[in-house]
Amino acid sequence: MENSNISYELEAVREDCLRPTHKWGLVTKIWLGCLFAVAAWGLFAFIFQLRHGLGSTAMRNYVSWGLYISTFVFFIGISHSGTLVSAILRITKQEWRRPITRSAELLTFVSLLFGGIMPIIDLGRPDRLLNLVIYGRVQSPLLWDVISICTYFTGSTVFLFLPMIPDMALCRDRLIICDTKFKKFRKWLYTFLALGWTGTKNQWHILEKVMTVMTIVIIPVAVSVHTVVSYIFAMTLRPGWDSTVFGPYFVAGALYSGSAGVILGMAFFRKAYHLEKYITPRHFDLMGRIVLALTLIYAYLNLNEYWIPAYKMATHEGFLLKDLFFGSYSGVFWTLQFGSVLLPIIIMANPKGRQILPLSITCIIIVIGAWIKRYIIVVPTLLHPYMPIQEVPADWSSYFPNWVEWSVTMGCLSGIFIVITLFSKLFPMMAVWEVEEGVEIEHDRKAILEIKNKREAEKRLRTEASVN
Amino acid sequence: MKTYKIIFRSIALTLSLIVICLVCSTAQNQNEPKEKMNTSIQISFHKNSELSKMIAVKITAKTKDNKREPAQNAHVNFYAQNNVGQKNIGTCITNNEGKAEMVLSKDLPIDTGMSYHIVAKIENDEMYNNSDEEIHFKEANISVKLNATDTNRIVTATVMALGNDGKEKPVKDIAVKFYIKRMFGIMPAAEDNVLNTDENGIAAFNYPKEIPGGSTGSIIVIAKIEDNEVFGTVEANSEVKWGNVIASEKNPFPRALWEPYAPPSLILVFVILFGGVWSTYLYIFYNMFKIKKDKGLEQRELEEMIKQ
Repeated sequence: MENSNISYELEAVREDCLRPTHKWGLVTKIWLGCLFAVAAWGLFAFIFQLRHGLGSTAMRNYVSWGLYISTFVFFIGISHSGTLVSAILRITKQEWRRPITRSAELLTFVSLLFGGIMPIIDLGRPDRLLNLVIYGRVQSPLLWDVISICTYFTGSTVFLFLPMIPDMALCRDRLIICDTKFKKFRKWLYTFLALGWTGTKNQWHILEKVMTVMTIVIIPVAVSVHTVVSYIFAMTLRPGWDSTVFGPYFVAGALYSGSAGVILGMAFFRKAYHLEKYITPRHFDLMGRIVLALTLIYAYLNLNEYWIPAYKMATHEGFLLKDLFFGSYSGVFWTLQFGSVLLPIIIMANPKGRQILPLSITCIIIVIGAWIKRYIIVVPTLLHPYMPIQEVPADWSSYFPNWVEWSVTMGCLSGIFIVITLFSKLFPMMAVWEVEEGVEIEHDRKAILEIKNKREAEKRLRTEASVN
Repeated sequence: MKTYKIIFRSIALTLSLIVICLVCSTAQNQNEPKEKMNTSIQISFHKNSELSKMIAVKITAKTKDNKREPAQNAHVNFYAQNNVGQKNIGTCITNNEGKAEMVLSKDLPIDTGMSYHIVAKIENDEMYNNSDEEIHFKEANISVKLNATDTNRIVTATVMALGNDGKEKPVKDIAVKFYIKRMFGIMPAAEDNVLNTDENGIAAFNYPKEIPGGSTGSIIVIAKIEDNEVFGTVEANSEVKWGNVIASEKNPFPRALWEPYAPPSLILVFVILFGGVWSTYLYIFYNMFKIKKDKGLEQRELEEMIKQ
């Protein structure tokens, strides 16, 4: 009876995980249509930029890293989610991670994919990209960045793919009984990605071994990527960037915004694919605690980043800080400090604030705030160089992205959503075998508890009998 | 319920603040409707070493707050004028520095007295009010000859100009400056590099020794009349191997952070770090291959049965 119960439960897990991959509803089609329209507009803007050069953007001599590089840093930050939720929780054997690892790893994959594209867009002449490899200098943080991002992207792709192998075999095997679109393509795709998985003991052994190795390797790689991204700024002699705390500051910022991104993904897939049974309020509560801890760390580093130079107010740093604190950027700066750091701490410190809806809204604020924060890190510093801005056209001394930059950036953002949507329509958004494993463990735990309770009851009865 | 309300209100307030901040910063960058600005035009004539004649204008505009700034994208019409009348010879648009240049054709209408009369006009421009400026100039030719004796090296510049009779005549008492061309500009050939021409239109200059001439010793000597009231700027040059030969260093760049070649220690650290990670990836790929190859006993038996 118990065996049939667990079989029923496991079958239900499979059905729940695979159901969304077979159905293409009207909403999905409209959603994808809108995304493709935005992406096409972004592509048009990019072609326009290629044709007319970077002069068609609002960037000029002084602000040569604008919205594109801010978005690049933001996307790379979001990519830390997969490492945190999947690798760190896996290595610490947190059982509750099981339903959310896939979406976190996917978020890492897509944000890295599009994050890596942003500097290429910013190049203006992408045809010269190869020169970076041909003439790249090992001493340059730019080359470190390219290599570490490529390394992290490869690692993240493998890290996403490895737990998918048994699921691909499951999709392949269940395709016969499924009524779905693109059956031939799916059959080829699942067979190819399943790597001939039959679930032998040896295959499971190898998979577990390589996943353990990848889990250990991906954490330092992820940390190194955002540290190196911070080096691009910190190793440049400019007010606001010349900081020793930039490495950990960027990593903390990335983890904080990335985890918030994961919560948004969880909330979306939970609602859209009816995964309420698996992604429970407890998951949100636990993730909320993690984001709260990370926000506190980020707030602490944020304080160090601004308070120490503000205490000294050295000439050029002073100009920048005055502009941030009281000048043209003060509105955005203080809104960010209070709105996306202090307010989330207050909300998430309250257990009610870690419930699904308030937590999701808080995470939206954190993610948007993180994006604007990257902009605040990049642009004001470029507008406060050591050499005075003089004898140049007046509009060179200010910057706000124009339609080309917004269009290209929005195109990339919609590209992220397109990849996520298509992925979720082809592959299960939860690691089926991992969730199944969780169900079995839970089942075993309950069985052990039952036996334990029985024994204790028997023992109590015996003791009572002996006393009587 | 109350807690929810407080949370929602706080969030709504924050979002509104963000929107307001963004709108404000956008508004700051919006260009105000522009009124037409008054301009002033500086006009000059140049004749370079390749003997092409050029008219250059530099235009500044007066802003609302009485500041002078370069007049960008101003459409400037150029007219050649002589006793017959005025003829449009072309239009230029100023660059970000408010500058525009136009190469003059060889058949430029000439005025009486063998001089040229050019008028630059801003007419019906969208951004600037109408204004004009004119220049009168005569065409001069300058030639450079280089002579070397055992002890001296002489640079001789001869300045000639068309007289009223249409024949070339030497120009007396005109200041000629001597320069050496360097990689990023021109350098005065000596501290006192200005000489006046004699009655034969000749200015002879003693070339100083010990000027570096790169790996070949080649030097380009320039003789130049600068901003002359009558002739504008006229220039000629000549190349000669009078420079000191500088042998290129065998290893000009030591291995260092600030040189093209990285220090070996940095390369070593780099290779160890990324080599370590990529070797792990290779190990993972190898194991993925092993997964693909391992089909299990049952599968192998099944395949063998199918084969049989």
